Amino acid sequence: MPTLLETQCAMRTWLVDGERDAAADLLADGISPDRLDIYRNTFVANATRALRLTYPAVHKLVGDEFFEGAAVAFIAQHPPRSACFDHYGEAFAAFLAAFPPAASLAYLADVARLEWAVSRAIHSDDVEPLDLARLVALSPAEQECVSFVPHPSVSLLSLVTPADAIRRAVLAGDDAALAAVDPAAGAVRLLVERGESGPEVTRLDAAAWHFAAELCRGLPLGMVLAELHGTSAETAFAAHLGAGRFVDFRLAPPELMASLSPSEAGP
Amino acid sequence: MSFPQVHPGPVPAQAGIGLRFQHHEAVLERRPDIAWMEVHTENYMGGGTAIRCLETIRRDHPISLHGVGLSLGSAQGLDPAHLKRIRKVAERIEPGLMSEHIAWSVAEATYLADLLPLPMTEESLSVVCRHVDEVQSAMKRRILVENPSTYLRFRHSTIPEWEFMAAVARRTGCGILCDVNNIYVSARNHDWDPSAYLARLPPAAIGEIHLAGHSVRSLPDGTTLRIDDHGSRVIDDVWALYREALARFGPVPTLIEWDTDVPSLGVLLGEAAIAGAMLADAKPGARDADAA
Repeated sequence: MPTLLETQCAMRTWLVDGERDAAADLLADGISPDRLDIYRNTFVANATRALRLTYPAVHKLVGDEFFEGAAVAFIAQHPPRSACFDHYGEAFAAFLAAFPPAASLAYLADVARLEWAVSRAIHSDDVEPLDLARLVALSPAEQECVSFVPHPSVSLLSLVTPADAIRRAVLAGDDAALAAVDPAAGAVRLLVERGESGPEVTRLDAAAWHFAAELCRGLPLGMVLAELHGTSAETAFAAHLGAGRFVDFRLAPPELMASLSPSEAGP
Repeated sequence: MSFPQVHPGPVPAQAGIGLRFQHHEAVLERRPDIAWMEVHTENYMGGGTAIRCLETIRRDHPISLHGVGLSLGSAQGLDPAHLKRIRKVAERIEPGLMSEHIAWSVAEATYLADLLPLPMTEESLSVVCRHVDEVQSAMKRRILVENPSTYLRFRHSTIPEWEFMAAVARRTGCGILCDVNNIYVSARNHDWDPSAYLARLPPAAIGEIHLAGHSVRSLPDGTTLRIDDHGSRVIDDVWALYREALARFGPVPTLIEWDTDVPSLGVLLGEAAIAGAMLADAKPGARDADAA
């Protein structure tokens, strides 16, 4: 008698890899292997629907048939790992970037990267923002060493195409706006986060983006502030704190601070 | 093992509806007169607006958390991260009922996105019971387990499904979520007697009933199969089987599920009203006599 594990591995091989023989051998007399197809269709349809929900602009840009073809190939390569579908599909942008049928759509992978960040902004855990009193209680020397933990909904994206404008136009069904987007207009730097009523996508200039990205990467505060002199850094820093973009901090050890100079700490 | 009985608890023996995202807004605006609602736990595992919305709805309506992804039948064990996510949702929502399925959906760390059928064997039974024990210990409460709808049977199955269900309830102290549509679908697919299936479930264990629509599909080999797609109204045969269930079990919290081609809130409430009228006619059943 096959064990439960053997049964489940045979079914998995059928559902994911499409090899039906091992599973068909397990069926009772009179049960047509065609019935296995019902489960395979449901598996692929449910995983495809999860991708469609996370990547609505990619779906609208390429249409049903193309999207389903890409999804089926993606699901075979990257089957879901978790029953929480909010976590599924992170690798879809990288997959699209290397997907030969999408080679002529240079912006598609960027739109997918943005949609993944938006999905994180929607679904990531609720975490209380940093209590500023904890920061104020530190000595000035300790404040220099503060390394922030960003809110899980926050992403900083640097994209080579204006994916934000493309996504906005596509989701609004605004063909004129879409036609007006020049995909070769150049890089955009974006802050994506959860706002009061939903996900928010904001364009930042290069300096502001680098400042936010370095803080979110956990580089020590003193070093990041030293890089961007003057009041603009302090204003930007206050804005990040006020918006609740950090949820916690650690103190970088002083010897690490001493060993790092801003020029060595770049990406 | 003994756990606090959550039934009748805050989910009353009345009709409820499955709450889906499409109806969040309508429910918040209209605050419909419905006794309780059930959601898929997996849809509220993140933060943000979805769970906040459910917290608001929770103020007016008792909520049942119905899991679809824990995979109680996985030979390789439960995913501790998923169990933790369920516990987090339960802590925020304080559900009146919690339930899962007699099925599996995870193998070799792959989530197969469906409630897959288990071979009905002693090994499966002991795996499921171990996992139900684990969940009830982690949640510190009794859960309900739902009977599956299935499209195939395994060569090596040895235990009739109704006996499997009863044995899980007996060994773990969990309750049974009796899905009347699933009984009908499986019975038609496998040539069982649906009334006999109902008659063999232990009345005292029944904590909830599910009702839904299903579809009929023709297969290439010329046979037809009933597909449990929750995409239409409850059919007359299933309503008739529901009356039998109520006669046997007495009034039990009853849910209308609708997951594909989700209709307007009004249609759902209309289906719930039909169930509600049948519930109002139901006499205390064997379940209450057993429990007394």
